[in-house]
Amino acid sequence: MSLMIDLVKPDGGAARRPYGRMLTGAALVIVLAVFPLVMSPFANLQVTLTLVYAVAILGLDILVGWTGQVSLGQSAFFGIGAYGVAVCADRGWPVWAGLLFGVVLAGVVGCLVAVPAARLRGYALGMITLTLPVVAVPLAKRLEVVTGGAQGLNVTIAEAPEWTGLAADQWHYYVVAAGAALVFALAAALRRSHFGRAFDAVRVDEALATAQGVHVTRYKVLAFTLSAVYGGFAGVLYVVAVQFISPETLILTLSISLLAGLAIGGLRSLLGCVLGAAFYVVVPNVTGEVSAGQSYLLYGVCLLAVMLLMPRGVAPALDRVVRNVAGRRGRAVAPGD
Amino acid sequence: MAVRRETGGWGVNHGMQAFVEVRDLTLRFSGVTALEDVGFDVGGGQICGLVGPNGAGKSSLFNCVSGYYRPSAGSIRVAGQDVLGVPAHRKVRLGIARTFQHPALQPERTVLDNVLLGGHSTLPGSVLSAMLALPGGRRRERALAAEARELLALLGLAGVERTPAGDLPYGSQKRVEIARALLSRPRLLLLDEPASGLTHAEVGELGELITRIRADHDLTVIVVEHHMGLISAVTDHVVALVGGRKVAEGTAQAVQSDPVVVSAYLGVA
Ligand SMILES: Nc1ncnc2c1ncn2[C@@H]1O[C@H](COP(=O)(O)OP(=O)(O)O)[C@@H](O)[C@H]1O
Ligand SMILES: [Mg+2]
Repeated sequence: MSLMIDLVKPDGGAARRPYGRMLTGAALVIVLAVFPLVMSPFANLQVTLTLVYAVAILGLDILVGWTGQVSLGQSAFFGIGAYGVAVCADRGWPVWAGLLFGVVLAGVVGCLVAVPAARLRGYALGMITLTLPVVAVPLAKRLEVVTGGAQGLNVTIAEAPEWTGLAADQWHYYVVAAGAALVFALAAALRRSHFGRAFDAVRVDEALATAQGVHVTRYKVLAFTLSAVYGGFAGVLYVVAVQFISPETLILTLSISLLAGLAIGGLRSLLGCVLGAAFYVVVPNVTGEVSAGQSYLLYGVCLLAVMLLMPRGVAPALDRVVRNVAGRRGRAVAPGD
Repeated sequence: MAVRRETGGWGVNHGMQAFVEVRDLTLRFSGVTALEDVGFDVGGGQICGLVGPNGAGKSSLFNCVSGYYRPSAGSIRVAGQDVLGVPAHRKVRLGIARTFQHPALQPERTVLDNVLLGGHSTLPGSVLSAMLALPGGRRRERALAAEARELLALLGLAGVERTPAGDLPYGSQKRVEIARALLSRPRLLLLDEPASGLTHAEVGELGELITRIRADHDLTVIVVEHHMGLISAVTDHVVALVGGRKVAEGTAQAVQSDPVVVSAYLGVA
């Protein structure tokens, strides 16, 4: 349901269409709930991973889309969350402790990086955040005793309770979907609060923000920290989904792909985060089917094509289509117009 | 803090403390002296006009009050408190609000959201309570929205509260800025060229509006404006700057006929 919050655009037609929206929302929830029961484990994993990356992209959106900062470090926070929960599980600690450890550690590292980074902008900020995955990957390889080195860590967490009768892929799907829905709802509420307005003000005009009593640096640090926490949480969900983590997962390429996903989906849109993640997860499968050798090239072509056709991303483009259709229908029924 | 109201006078209150006291203010940029030894007083509840040709230093003076520019000498006191040492983001809590010469809005957000931003400092609460959408926070938000709608109605913007602010004409954007400034419940309001982009009739309405909000909101106002009709209509007292120096001060009429002011305006025209 949380997705719908972003779709509720405050326009004149709001009073006439709440039913339509509730029905769409209910239909979406039912489809998502039934999906893993009838689809293949592979299809389930695709949707689960889409939701995982959607959370990471949402974190990036808070920083990039809302606050107007840039970061190439999201894969490192993803890695901190993932290793946090995996290492804890490896030592036999309960999963909630691992979750807490991973997310809090990501937030703390995020905050520590943010304090100096918030005074930078543009390329300088990009460069300093670039160092995060550059440091994190070798670190994960070297700390072999804890992290399992280059081999990574295989873990078994969030097993399906017996009474559910669900297969692992189905249970993991539900766990990830619930986690993602929760943090999406939290972000939606934050965006609608005065914090959301303040983040926007920092992006649009720092002098304006300051005149309203917004401490610009503090809000940048806050956005960076939240972004890291979301990245860390996405990492935890990733380990739930695949029960494995290795240094290869948190390489810089992931950071870049997440940024590309954000651009594809569209900034400042919850739906956009999901669509961007779906692009990242699903399109490589399709291009791989088409031509295994040229998969990357084709993926790049798709990316370019989407950005050329929809420069502001898929979600804003969809939004415009929906509004045009609704507008035309509204005009058609308006008497004597 | 009670705001002492004075009516009739010019705000040059000998022996009494003025609400705003600017003293020996000097501001230099590399090569340019934007303000030099500027000093004047504004009495509580008064409307002070700040006039002068482009580049005279009017906006720079506002930026010193706001804390964006750090003057090299001088002081500014508001309600007896030195405001130059207060960081820019704290100014709103001292009761200082402003509009910008070029409207600074969030173009994608609705007009209502833009006004609500002005109430930022009145909303307490932690990130966590905002994320959890706790009822207390939502109640405060609703109350603030009601207040914002009243201000929009007052400014003649009731019909456009859900329009993206960037879609409004220039003159309306400037009024959105006034509503936003008022929502912070200021005691001192700085208006930077509020009449630019308005039609002749609208300027008349703006004048009435400024006088009305001064009375209703217990405000002291400093208004930068080129529109002499507006200055004559609303101000108790006018300060004229030319090239960063104060060249005249007094009633609107006296300042308008001051030979130095006249020649400065003719010189740039
Ligand atoms: N940030 C700045 N950097 C350099 N010079 C500035 C800056 N702001 C203002 N000035 C200069 O200060 C002078 C006064 O400008 P300003 O205060 O904007 O004038 P006004 O608002 O009266 O038109 C101008 O010469 C302007 O070029
Ligand atoms: Mg100016």
